[in-house]
Amino acid sequence: MVKPIQENELVNREYKYGFVTDIEVEPFPKGLSEKVIKMISEKKSEPDFMLEWRLKAYRHWKTLKEPKWPNFKYGPIDYQAISYYSAPKKKTNLKSLDEVDKELLNTFERLGIPLTEQKRLTGVAVDAVFDSVSVGTTHQGELAKAGVIFCSMSEAISHHPELIKKYLGSVVPHSDNFFAALNSAVFSDGSFCYIPKGVRCPLELSTYFRINAADSGQFERTLIIAEDDSYVSYLEGCTAPSRDQNQLHAAVVELVAMNNAEIKYSTVQNWYSGDKNGNGGIYNFVTKRGKCIGTNSKISWTQVEAGAAITWKYPSVILQGDNSVGKFYSVALTNNRMQADTGTKMIHIGKNTKSTIVSKGISTDYSNNNYRGLVKIMPTAHGARNFSQCDSMLVGNNCSANTFPYIEVKNSSAVLEHEASTSKISAEQMFYLRSRGLDLEGAVSLIINGFCKEVFKELPLEFSVEAIKLLEMKLEGSVG
Amino acid sequence: MIVKNDQLSFISGLKEFEILVKQESPLWAYNLRKESLDRFAKRGLPTVKEEEWKYTNVASLKEHQFQIASDSSKMAQLKELKAYYRKEEINLVFINGVFSEELSNLKKLPKGLKVADVNDAALYSQKEAAFVLQRYPQDQDDSFIALNKAFLYRVAFVQIDPKTVIKPLIHIIHVTDAVKSSVSSFPRSLIMLGKSAEAQVMESHLSFSDDTYLTNALSDIVLDQDAKLVYCKAQGESKNAFHIGTTRVWQERDSQLDSFSLMTGGKITRNNLNIVLNGSGAHATLNGLYLINGNQHVDNHTAVDHRPPNCTSTQLYKGILYDAARAVFNGKIFVKKEAQQTNSYQLNKNLLLGPDCRVDTKPQLEIFADDVKCTHGATIGQLNEDEIFYLQTRCIPKSQAVEMLARGFVDDILNRIADESIVAKLNKLLAEYFQD
Repeated sequence: MVKPIQENELVNREYKYGFVTDIEVEPFPKGLSEKVIKMISEKKSEPDFMLEWRLKAYRHWKTLKEPKWPNFKYGPIDYQAISYYSAPKKKTNLKSLDEVDKELLNTFERLGIPLTEQKRLTGVAVDAVFDSVSVGTTHQGELAKAGVIFCSMSEAISHHPELIKKYLGSVVPHSDNFFAALNSAVFSDGSFCYIPKGVRCPLELSTYFRINAADSGQFERTLIIAEDDSYVSYLEGCTAPSRDQNQLHAAVVELVAMNNAEIKYSTVQNWYSGDKNGNGGIYNFVTKRGKCIGTNSKISWTQVEAGAAITWKYPSVILQGDNSVGKFYSVALTNNRMQADTGTKMIHIGKNTKSTIVSKGISTDYSNNNYRGLVKIMPTAHGARNFSQCDSMLVGNNCSANTFPYIEVKNSSAVLEHEASTSKISAEQMFYLRSRGLDLEGAVSLIINGFCKEVFKELPLEFSVEAIKLLEMKLEGSVG
Repeated sequence: MIVKNDQLSFISGLKEFEILVKQESPLWAYNLRKESLDRFAKRGLPTVKEEEWKYTNVASLKEHQFQIASDSSKMAQLKELKAYYRKEEINLVFINGVFSEELSNLKKLPKGLKVADVNDAALYSQKEAAFVLQRYPQDQDDSFIALNKAFLYRVAFVQIDPKTVIKPLIHIIHVTDAVKSSVSSFPRSLIMLGKSAEAQVMESHLSFSDDTYLTNALSDIVLDQDAKLVYCKAQGESKNAFHIGTTRVWQERDSQLDSFSLMTGGKITRNNLNIVLNGSGAHATLNGLYLINGNQHVDNHTAVDHRPPNCTSTQLYKGILYDAARAVFNGKIFVKKEAQQTNSYQLNKNLLLGPDCRVDTKPQLEIFADDVKCTHGATIGQLNEDEIFYLQTRCIPKSQAVEMLARGFVDDILNRIADESIVAKLNKLLAEYFQD
C-alpha cells in the first residue's frame, strides 16, 4: 500500500534558504550615477585604470536599452531604485576567518558551505560572496603552494593588476550587452582564479554567492585564466532570502583557456524564485562566456538552473584555437511562475573545433522554460563539428516549453546535428514504477533523474548529489 | 488613389494599373487594395533587424524598378511551356500575372469543380469575405501579403463541392516573361475544398528566360471537414528573379493536407507555408526540397499551429547547395494549451556540395500542452567519403558518384509524392542538376 501524499505538506514546502541574516551592513544610497561608481571604486581602493574602465562602461550603458527579445514577461526594472553596493560592516582589516562576524559565518553554515577550519577537510576551496563582497576564501595556502591564485576580485585588482588589465573584459567587453555593461560599471566583487602553466589545480574551486540585503542588486564578476597545459574545475552556487520584491542579479563570468588548457565550470543556481503567485524572486541576468584561445583547449559549462524568478543566461564558448572543444550541459527546472530563457552559444572560428550541447528542460506549474541556442560556424572553421540535443519535459497543463535553436553555417565542410524533443512522463512509466512499490514522488524523481542523467554525470560528485536533491525538492507537490 | 511613396519606389506603372482595375473593379476590391497599400506603406519592406527576416535581405529590391505587368500578348516561349502541360489535366495559365484564356483549358470541367480566373468578382468577393478574411485578420498581414493584396487583379480560383473527388491534376501555371523591362506580378490563388472533397492541385511559377523580375504570390487554401488535398508548389523562376510567396492553409476536422514544395529558381526566394490545424484529427504533411547553385538564396519558412487535440503534422525539408548558394530554413511548431495528444515531427537536412555555401536553420518549438510528442531535428553535412570511394572502386568517376548520391538524397523525398505527373514536372525543373 502506497502511503497517500500529504498534498498540503508538500505544496506548501518553502524555499529552504529563504532566511534573512540580521547583520549590520553599509548599503550605498540607491541609484546609479558616476558618483556612485566613483564611490564603489574608492571604497575598494581601486587603481585609476579600474575607475576609468567602470566609467567607460557606465557611459556606454547609458546609451543602451534593456533587451526585449527574451521570451518572458516582467515589469519594468527601475535601475535607480537599486542599491549598487552592500557589504557586511567590517570593523578592522581581517587577518583570518576567525575574525569574521559570527552571524556571517552562521549564515554560510546554515547554507552548508564549509568556510570554517573544521570543515576544510572536504577538499574544496571556497570563496564566499555575501551581497557585494567576498567574505572569505579558504585553502589559499595550499593553492599558493601549487602556484594557483584564487582570491576575491578586489584582492586581485590590488595584488595582480597586470593580469586584470590584460584579461578583464577580454572575453565579455563592457560593450557586449545591456547587463554586461551595467555589471562592468558597478561590479563589486567576485572570484578571480589564475592557474599557471602546467598546473593541475589540486582542489575543486568553488564560489558561493548569497544575496542578503533588501533592495540591493548583486553584480559579481568572475575571471578564470588557465595557462598552457593547466586544468581547473570550478563550482558556483547561489541562494537568496525570500522577499516580496524582485532583486536583480547581473553577473559576468569570463573564462580564458590557453593551449591544451581545460576549464570545467559548474553551476548550481538556486536563487529565491518567488512564491507560487510569482511575487518576489531574483532576476538572474547573467553573461557567461569562455574563450578557447589556445589550440586543443577545452571549456565545459555544466549548469543546474533551479531557482530565480527569471533566468536569462547563455554560457557560451568562443572556439578560437584550432582543435578546441566547447561543451554545454544544462538542466533547467522551472516551477510556480518561474521563467527561464537559457541556452548556449558556440562560436566556431578555429579549424577542427568541436562542440556538444545537451540541454534538458523541465517545466511544471505555471512556468515557462525556453531553450535558446546559437551554433555559428565561421568561414575559417574548416572541419567544425557540432552535436546538439535539447529535450523538454512538461509536467502539468499550464506550463510551456519552447526551443529556439539558431544554426548558422558559413563553412561548407561543417557537420552539424541538432535534435530536440518534447514529451511528458507517460502513464505507463508511472504505472510500472508504482506497481513496483515506488510512491508517486519516488517514481517521478526516478524518471526525472534518468532524464537528466547525462548532465548530472558531468557534475563533480558533491554537486551531483546536491543537484539531484534540489530537483527532488522542487518537484515535490507538482506531480499527481 | 495610389499615392506614390518611398516604400513603393521599386514598383512602377501604378497609374496604368489604376486605370486598368478601375474599369472592372467593384467597391470591395477597391477598398481592399487601398487598405492593403496603406498597410504596406506603413510597414515598408522588412529589414534583417526583424526576427522573421533575419537571414534574408530584400533591400536589393529597391535597386530595381518593377513594372506592374498588365499585358500578356507578347508571350514568346510557348514551346517550353508545353513540357509542363498535359491536355488531360486542368490547366490555368497566367502570363505575367494575367490570365490567358487560350492557353488554359477550362471548357469541360468535371462536375462539382469550379475553376476560374476571377473575373467573376462577385463570387470571389463573397468567398474571400467568407473564407479568408474572417480567418486571417487583415491587420496581421505582413508586408508582402499586404503588397500582394494592394495589387489584386486576377485570382486563380478553385472550388470543389462537398463529396466530390476530382481525379485529374489541377495545374495553376504562372509564367513570367519580362519582354520589355523588369516586371512584377502578384499571383493570387484561392483553393477551397468542401466537406469530404478530394483533389490534387499544383502551382508552378516558371520562367524560360533569365530576366530580373518580382513575383509576390499569395495562395489561400481552405480544407473543410474530411477534405483531402495534395498540394504542390514548384518554383522554377529565372535565376535573376525575386520570388516571395506565402501559402496559408486552414484545416478543419479530419482534413488531410499532403503538401510538397520545390524551390530551385530565383535569385532571392522566400517561401512561407503557414498551416492552421483548426479541427481535431486533422493531419498535415509538409515536405520540401531545394536545389540551388551560384549565388542563389532560398528561404523556407513553415509554421504549423496545432490548436485542437489529436492533430498530427510531419515535416521533412531537404536541400542541396552548390557553389556559393545560401539556404535558410525556419520551422515553427506551435502547440496550444488545448492541443493535447499532438504528434508533430520536423526535420531539415542540408547537403553542402559547394565550397562556399551557407546555411542558417532554426527549427523552433513552442509548446503549451503537456501530453504531446514533438520532435525536431536539423543536420548539415557533406556526402559520405566512404560511399564515394565505394562507387569509385566500381569505376564510376567521382563527379558521377557525387551526382548519383545527390540523386539518392533527392529521390528519398521525391518518392513520397504519389502522383507521377507531379514528379515528372518536378524532375524537369531539376534537369539542370541531373542528367537522367
